Amino acid sequence: MADSDGEYQADDASEDEFRDHQVSSGTPLDSRSHPRTDKPKKGGRKSGKAAWEDLQRSWDVVVEGADGTLAGAIEGLAEAQKRARLLKDTTPLQRGIIRHLVLVLDMSFAMLEKDLLPTRHLLSMAYASEFVQEYFEQNPISQLAIIGMRDGIAVRISDMSGNPGDHLEKLQGWVKQDPQGNPSLQNALEMCRGALFHTPTHGTREVLIVYGALMSSDPGDIRDTLQSLIKDRIRVSIVGLAAQVAICEELCSKTNGGDTSGYNIALDEPNFRDLLLEVTTPPITRTKEQNNASLLMMGFPSRTLAAPETTNYCACHHRPTREGYGCTRCGTRVCRLPAECPGCGLTLILSTHLARSYHHLFPLRNWIEVPWAEARRSKSCYSCLSPFPHVPGRSGVNSKGQEKQDRPPVKGLSESARYACEVCGNHFCIDCDLFAHEVLHNCPGCQSDTRGAAQTSDANGTAMEIDS
Amino acid sequence: MNRIDASEHYDESGFTGQTPSLLTVVIDTNPRAWAAIHDLLPISKAIANILVFINAHLAYGNENQVAVLAAHTNRAVWLYPVSPNPEHPPLARRRNGSAKDVEMAGPDHHGHRPREPQLGTSANKYPQFAKIESSILASLRSLIDSTSPSDLNPTTLISGALSMALSYIHKTSLAFESPKTSADPANPTTTPSAKTAVPNLHARILVLSVSQSEPAQYIPTMNAVFAASHARIPIDTLALYSAPTFLQQAAFITNGVFLSAAANPRGLLTYLMFGFLADVDARASLVVPTQDSVDFRAACFCHRNVVDTGFVCSICLSIFCDVPENAECLTCGTKLALGNYGAKPAVIPRKKKKRKRVNGGGREETGSATGTPGPA
Repeated sequence: MADSDGEYQADDASEDEFRDHQVSSGTPLDSRSHPRTDKPKKGGRKSGKAAWEDLQRSWDVVVEGADGTLAGAIEGLAEAQKRARLLKDTTPLQRGIIRHLVLVLDMSFAMLEKDLLPTRHLLSMAYASEFVQEYFEQNPISQLAIIGMRDGIAVRISDMSGNPGDHLEKLQGWVKQDPQGNPSLQNALEMCRGALFHTPTHGTREVLIVYGALMSSDPGDIRDTLQSLIKDRIRVSIVGLAAQVAICEELCSKTNGGDTSGYNIALDEPNFRDLLLEVTTPPITRTKEQNNASLLMMGFPSRTLAAPETTNYCACHHRPTREGYGCTRCGTRVCRLPAECPGCGLTLILSTHLARSYHHLFPLRNWIEVPWAEARRSKSCYSCLSPFPHVPGRSGVNSKGQEKQDRPPVKGLSESARYACEVCGNHFCIDCDLFAHEVLHNCPGCQSDTRGAAQTSDANGTAMEIDS
Repeated sequence: MNRIDASEHYDESGFTGQTPSLLTVVIDTNPRAWAAIHDLLPISKAIANILVFINAHLAYGNENQVAVLAAHTNRAVWLYPVSPNPEHPPLARRRNGSAKDVEMAGPDHHGHRPREPQLGTSANKYPQFAKIESSILASLRSLIDSTSPSDLNPTTLISGALSMALSYIHKTSLAFESPKTSADPANPTTTPSAKTAVPNLHARILVLSVSQSEPAQYIPTMNAVFAASHARIPIDTLALYSAPTFLQQAAFITNGVFLSAAANPRGLLTYLMFGFLADVDARASLVVPTQDSVDFRAACFCHRNVVDTGFVCSICLSIFCDVPENAECLTCGTKLALGNYGAKPAVIPRKKKKRKRVNGGGREETGSATGTPGPA
């Protein structure tokens, strides 16, 4: 490794950098254990490093395995990367689940650049529709609007609505239009203010900007807009595609109470996507005055068919329908949910819409790595039954020890490829770990064995025969 | 290649034949519920019918796969493929000689060694059918053997079985996924319309339910249902005894089929064959049985009442049947403003009495002739 081309760093420096990266990539808990050699340097510079200063060279991290190949290390890194996403803290925080968000897309000349393939414009359009879908998946009773920045003005792409179909349809229409003109942050933000003006106080007000340009041609002083944004409690987060821009950082930090984590520059295509989709998670409610909690009255209508040989008119679109939902208060029929009853104004939703957000309330706790010492209990993943690597016997210990020294201790990676739920103690593979935490939000082990909870597991020892 | 330079290259997609289909059957094995319908349909007969159905599914395509789970009163276990983990140490040893025997049996069905091979050694039987049959029967027997009377609560762990089935399907579909599309979020030619690629595996879940839905499992079940709808896996349900509300909603959300055979459980095989044999592909060209009405009412968090109009905390979305004490949310403890609770809906003010004296007096008197009916 040390004699390869382009290697100019001493070993300890790369090690340091590796740790640096580890710390910065979402495991802040770990910082206590590492003596940070660059502390004094950092102290000299007042704030944290800029993103580009924190460059991490992927080739420094890779270390040859005992057999001289990189396969093991790369595999481990890929797995660790997967898990890094998961190792966010699971402490239940108060989050704003009823959200009002305006997605602002840059459609200026800067989006013609091809540094993100095929072009910035096409890619951001593709990811925007993915964002819309994911946003409503995660926040089913939230609202979204889309605005474009083009020709120096703000263009309304879709209005505030809770139906993903509307947004996707409107977005499609803009894919073929080539971006042109200058972007104007101020115009866009003012339009966002207008769109968010009527939103109720119990919801969040957010603006997400995809910004490809490095300039903004504004009709007035954007700082006035910034002040009114703060007054209106609108939070701005920005995903930049080119480089950091001072005004963007100011916008994000001032509207988020000094927190600059809302401003990110996309490094490459997958990173761009991650940054966008990150925003679909409901934001943490920060201050007391920001949340104006209230008790909402809602109706949960059941789906019914019209009486045979008849059709109903839905009150929302004035179209004849056979199936529909009757308002639980006034009996008005609507054809689609969620909706506000056109008759009495009651919010009508499906109970399943609410249930979709419950996993934010009761997050699944992270699973822990299983050392070899405890790996003997399982031979395969509890849920998907794929086999685990064998537990090395007495003879295998030696080679294992060697390998461990060679390999950098990747945080969050289990040496035995097993991950255990702390509640039920079952072992799972990395794929099920990801699936359970990202999609399922259930622990298959806890859900499929309640004997531990009921303290009846001892009864199995006696195993009464009740063969029928 | 075609996507990069947009030229026509040799395309072998036309020769791959049909997409393999993975059927995951979840059998509700609650002994109480089966005892209740024992006169109509004993479980042994039901299992025989299910086996015929599974064989039919396998016979449909060469690459079709099957997985079977049991949702028992207090646990969910794999019936086929069998979990190699030593689940009940005393029991596994008794059944199996030594647990090490099966340690090589992975999730791969073909590599699986049945526990009691003597069951399936008939020369007249297709080996795969025999293998699955013997595995299911053996695991089911050991499951029933290990059930003690103290386990006999009326609930069934449907949520656990669904979670396991989804994990398994997820893993299996990963294996079927071509490497090109696996980590492909940055596919340069991704256009919004080109997102729905043809899946390489059609998975579906069939739940054979005999018991009621358990309100305590509402959240985990719904989590599993949303995961299934996310992955476009339909959850079909055949209810043999009562009407499981959550599974009814599951079928609606995931575009599955919900059928109730409670009227005549004896026709189980007919229901299975005609209602559930078609896979996702085939269903596109069939008219599948639909549900007339779906009960979407929610259970409140405070009293587990089923409500149609409730109060929802704007912070955590907990549902309450009435305004909680001190207007404090019971789940997240937030002090809640009562909003416009009790506000009268916007109706036309009661001026209608004037209309009686003059007919068509004012120009404004258009619209509905009568006022909004008040609470009678």
